[in-house]
Amino acid sequence: MRLYEFQAKLIFRDHGIRIPKGLIAKTREEAVDAADRIGLPVAIKAQVLSGGRGLAGGIKIVNSRKDVPSVASLILETNVKSEKPLTLLIEEKVEIAKELYCAVTWDYPRKCPVLIASSSGGMDIEAIARDRPTEVVTLPIDPYLGYGQYIGRQLAARIGLQGKEVVTFSDIVNKLWNVFSQHDAELVEINPLGLLGNGDLVAVDAKLILDDKSLFRQNEIINQINVLPNAEKEGLAYRRLRAKELGIPTYIEMEGEIGVLSDGAGTGMLTLDLISDLGGKIRVYCEMGGEATPELMEKTLMTMAKAGNVRVVLVSLIGGLNRMDEMAEGIVRYMNHQKSRPQVVVRMAGTQEDEGMKILSENSVAHYNDLYEAVQATMNVKS
Amino acid sequence: MAILIDQKSRALVQGITGKIGAYQTQLMVEYGTNVVAGVTPGKGGQSTAGVPVFDTVAQAVEKTHPDVSICFVPGPYACDAVIEAIECELKLVVAVAEAVPLADAVRMLSYASQQGAYVLGPDTSGLISPGKCKLGVQPHRLFSEGHVGIVSRSGALSYETAKMLTRNGLGQSTVIGLGGGPVWGFTYRDALELFRKDNDTQAVALLGEIGGHIEEEAAEYIKMGYPKPVVALVVGRSAPPGQKMGHAGAIIQQGKGSAQDKIQKFSEAGALIASSPKEIPAILKKEIRNQPQQNRL
Repeated sequence: MRLYEFQAKLIFRDHGIRIPKGLIAKTREEAVDAADRIGLPVAIKAQVLSGGRGLAGGIKIVNSRKDVPSVASLILETNVKSEKPLTLLIEEKVEIAKELYCAVTWDYPRKCPVLIASSSGGMDIEAIARDRPTEVVTLPIDPYLGYGQYIGRQLAARIGLQGKEVVTFSDIVNKLWNVFSQHDAELVEINPLGLLGNGDLVAVDAKLILDDKSLFRQNEIINQINVLPNAEKEGLAYRRLRAKELGIPTYIEMEGEIGVLSDGAGTGMLTLDLISDLGGKIRVYCEMGGEATPELMEKTLMTMAKAGNVRVVLVSLIGGLNRMDEMAEGIVRYMNHQKSRPQVVVRMAGTQEDEGMKILSENSVAHYNDLYEAVQATMNVKS
Repeated sequence: MAILIDQKSRALVQGITGKIGAYQTQLMVEYGTNVVAGVTPGKGGQSTAGVPVFDTVAQAVEKTHPDVSICFVPGPYACDAVIEAIECELKLVVAVAEAVPLADAVRMLSYASQQGAYVLGPDTSGLISPGKCKLGVQPHRLFSEGHVGIVSRSGALSYETAKMLTRNGLGQSTVIGLGGGPVWGFTYRDALELFRKDNDTQAVALLGEIGGHIEEEAAEYIKMGYPKPVVALVVGRSAPPGQKMGHAGAIIQQGKGSAQDKIQKFSEAGALIASSPKEIPAILKKEIRNQPQQNRL
């Protein structure tokens, strides 16, 4: 789960990392108020989860008070990869002498955490690594030995810092490591990490992605995030949040008109590929995982219908852990409760398939044992 | 023969008394798997599906001598249970739990490689040597005994492929689910090494997906020269970048890990390419015609 910049910064601050003075605004009026309280000039930053915010025009520096409302309105209307910001972060503009980079993430092939640092911050680290590989330093962390403060100092020295700067930088690395390990992160990143004239370091931007599978032991952070304004009662962000609340592991919206619901990631992707090969376009894709119940099936179908513009839903099941009789029961419940809805085509195979298909037959639900026939039948459904 | 498990395997089930553990143990026993013991702390002395239950793995090992384990312990506690099994010198542990925290997964997998044990998963369907032994949650009716080895990150995709092969008269030696990632214990490469030495396996179906590095690693391995035909399929050709497509490891990031890239690497390595499971039986049958008589399936 990726957090918004302002949420990540609050957590960084709690761990002792310095962040610029900042306030949240949801309207142009709130933006003016925030700018007054912080003092001009300010940075106005779109709070979105998609990357490439700067290039899309989601960050602007404003020097005079009279420009704040128009810039705030403009950014609130700016789409960053089809995501519109619901909130703005109004921040003091810090005078930076040099931009650095620091992150902690996982090295999956080596199965260990890794520290990444660079003396050239401010741009995409992948681009720096590609263009100037010598300027990016990575240090793997032994999963047993763990992190030690000396590793932070080594990292600082390796990116060319000296004397007092080594101590200041390694202090940030220590704190970033604490965020990473205490909150089960997939990634913590400060880019740019601003070096001020007086030698202090400030997290000008902040990125924090939590491991979805560890959220059960991060209640404190989740509660903290939930009290903050982040989602409205409609739109993609709301539907995603709703899917998460219902326990649907995967909820993805696209631009087409076909819904796909699968109970396995591999066959889900296969189903999407087969539909795409026949020229079909996906509107919404959900994957339920191997511990689905009739209730989850029913609710997932209801959630998918709410995405809108769905012509037909293909339920693509080949159950190992999931029992097909239970899945059929959930599908039938949905059909009975939901009066106006997209057409449903079911592919059913696997554990208890005979019992499941019997239930579908008795309730006149279109179903196939063969995936390819089910995909073809889905394509044949006319609106 | 088969790889990793056969009729001689003695299985331990960790988390045997839970809803999923109990039901799946019943199915494994019915299939013919020799389940010698189960473990659920606090339930020692009871029995499930006719299998004696112990409080600790150490007790189960001492009394019943299992050599492989399947672990149904839920995500939050899975790491502890898997490490317990490795510490008791079980050489293969199947970690079924879907929601294992990343830090825990890394911890248990690095311990396993340190100890020279194989861990399948986490988030895996397990493995099955049809007709011999089932250590997983597969719908086993779709499988049949034969000579094609299957290795897949996705359980469901391996079922789909086994169903196609079975329907076309091609049985399977061993079918392995590696798990959803983004970290894996046992990998495609490990499977290819074992299938290479297995007399029962005459061809391999390798089922990959987007994201991660283990398909690329397998392609490198095949490129060095592999004695048996390998047909590779990579799903997620139509997946949008930056989205986790159901598996934690199935994501195209920074332009890396796309299906097209992986397919190209397999193709350059000399593997045969299938674009969906339906094509796999025909490709394998054509390969068989080109093989010397004694190697035929």
